[in-house]
Amino acid sequence: MMEQPVQTETWKARSLEELVRILHQIFAEDKVSVDEVQALMESYESNPEEWLQYAKFDQYRYTRNLVDNGNGKFNLMILCWGEGHGSSIHDHTDSHCFMKILQGNLKETLFEWPEKKGNGEMTKKSERVLRENQCAYINDSIGLHRVENISHTEPAVSLHLYSPPFNTCNTFDQRTGHKHKVTMTFYSQFGERTVCATGVPQENN
Amino acid sequence: MAAAGGGSPELEPAPEPAMELESEPEPESEPEPEPEPALAAELAARRSAEARRLVLSPRRLSGPLPAGLSQWFPALEVLDVSGTGLTEMGTELLSLPCLHTLLAKNNRLGGPGSLPKGLEQAPLARSLRVLNLSGNRFSEVPPALLQLRGLRSLSLGGNRLHGIPPDIQELHSLEFLYLGGNFITAIPPELAKLPSLRYLVLCDNKIQSIPPQLAQLHSLRSLSLHNNLLTYLPREILNLVHLDELSLRGNPLVVRFVRDLTYNPPSLQELAGRTIKTRNIPYAPSDLPESLVRYLSLASNCPNPKCGGVYFDSCVRQIKFVDFCGKYRLPLMHYLCSPECSSPFSSASQSSTSQSESDSEDEASVAAHRMQKVLLG
Repeated sequence: MMEQPVQTETWKARSLEELVRILHQIFAEDKVSVDEVQALMESYESNPEEWLQYAKFDQYRYTRNLVDNGNGKFNLMILCWGEGHGSSIHDHTDSHCFMKILQGNLKETLFEWPEKKGNGEMTKKSERVLRENQCAYINDSIGLHRVENISHTEPAVSLHLYSPPFNTCNTFDQRTGHKHKVTMTFYSQFGERTVCATGVPQENN
Repeated sequence: MAAAGGGSPELEPAPEPAMELESEPEPESEPEPEPEPALAAELAARRSAEARRLVLSPRRLSGPLPAGLSQWFPALEVLDVSGTGLTEMGTELLSLPCLHTLLAKNNRLGGPGSLPKGLEQAPLARSLRVLNLSGNRFSEVPPALLQLRGLRSLSLGGNRLHGIPPDIQELHSLEFLYLGGNFITAIPPELAKLPSLRYLVLCDNKIQSIPPQLAQLHSLRSLSLHNNLLTYLPREILNLVHLDELSLRGNPLVVRFVRDLTYNPPSLQELAGRTIKTRNIPYAPSDLPESLVRYLSLASNCPNPKCGGVYFDSCVRQIKFVDFCGKYRLPLMHYLCSPECSSPFSSASQSSTSQSESDSEDEASVAAHRMQKVLLG
């Protein structure tokens, strides 16, 4: 679905609401451009007043808070990272993933896919620290990544778009390359806290 | 946008809406320190008997908290002085009767006198629940801090701590302890005496080992150990049955058995000593040279609860890889009196699904002949 389109618009989203509206417009088409979406996400200047209602933090780990379900074409969500919170190394289930920083900083470490019979330390490709309003992009053909808030003093908030939406992915053990399928859940949806059955240990590495 | 005063806030590192009495933010990034009289005059002018929250950041304070603060805002429950360049808190804190949250991150606290004297007798010692001192310059946990007996949440992330004082156990109400990003090399076993501790963050330090006593933290739900110098964990860690989160990345954890190892068999003296102890052969000080009597008194019981054996110097350390919560394969250190000592071992998995790919080469089978002494350099 995502390829080079015939024409590329240069969008400017002046608010979160406008960003969502333009996203719906873009994804209503048959063909969607990765560059176009990335530029659009980056054009939105983060305004906490507009997204505070979705930014629900948890003491123990990062949270995923659904903002919009894109008529089934994409999921837009806000992730809240307390100090020191990080994700495991994970893939993106053949979907496109855009990640924009709304507040604070996030470190992204890229990894190569492990060998079939993964039995050694995974190979780091690169790492970078993403700043406020920057937007990163990844998909499975690019590689795997780990995202973490390395600050011990500041929380971080990020805006993620996944297309098509997915709720399972694989997490990878950095030491061995072994993978493990996990189901992802939402901490809140549309600003409302979703209480679901816990008791499933959360993968953090 | 903010409710006036607001209810008692949860510990949330979320960006908070405009507070009750927020000062005007400085336009420049590095403003001149505010002359104290000017700030004092402004605060006095905005005094309120009902205000419960006060945010002073991002003002730049030239000295401690202005005298008179407790008179102008007697009902203060939440005080945020983060990013104000504070080098010492000052004594005004001692007069605030209902303060439960003090946020003072990203300042220049850490020298002697950062916290005021007389904390023990102040209302603060009982009222304060949340204290955030992250991003300061503490090279040790100030003893005065340990007087805050009501403290539930303490953050000293991103300071310069080299250790944790054993007296940390005085903070017996502590539920949340963040010590990430320091230079801590060891964890005192007294840390395990905090019965309500649920969240313990020790990431980004220089910790080489975890004391087995930490397994006594029955309330622990989340343990952050990533980016340290751990090569293995004590097997007692499996006793933390409520643990939902465990981060271990960035540690030089042993992944495989180190195969080539020299096993140093016990000396004749050791073997004789073991026999005497396990068979309860009676002896009196008159029977043996003093040095041997002393030697026999140093016998240790084999850590394997099912073995009645003892050892003196020759103790086998063995690493077993265990599924933890059905997901991790942790190298756990076992101590056994000899390679023949079998160690039945149950993995405390919470989920019935284990790793689909079982690496039998790495997995420690209980067969006695495979036990080896592992040298961890």
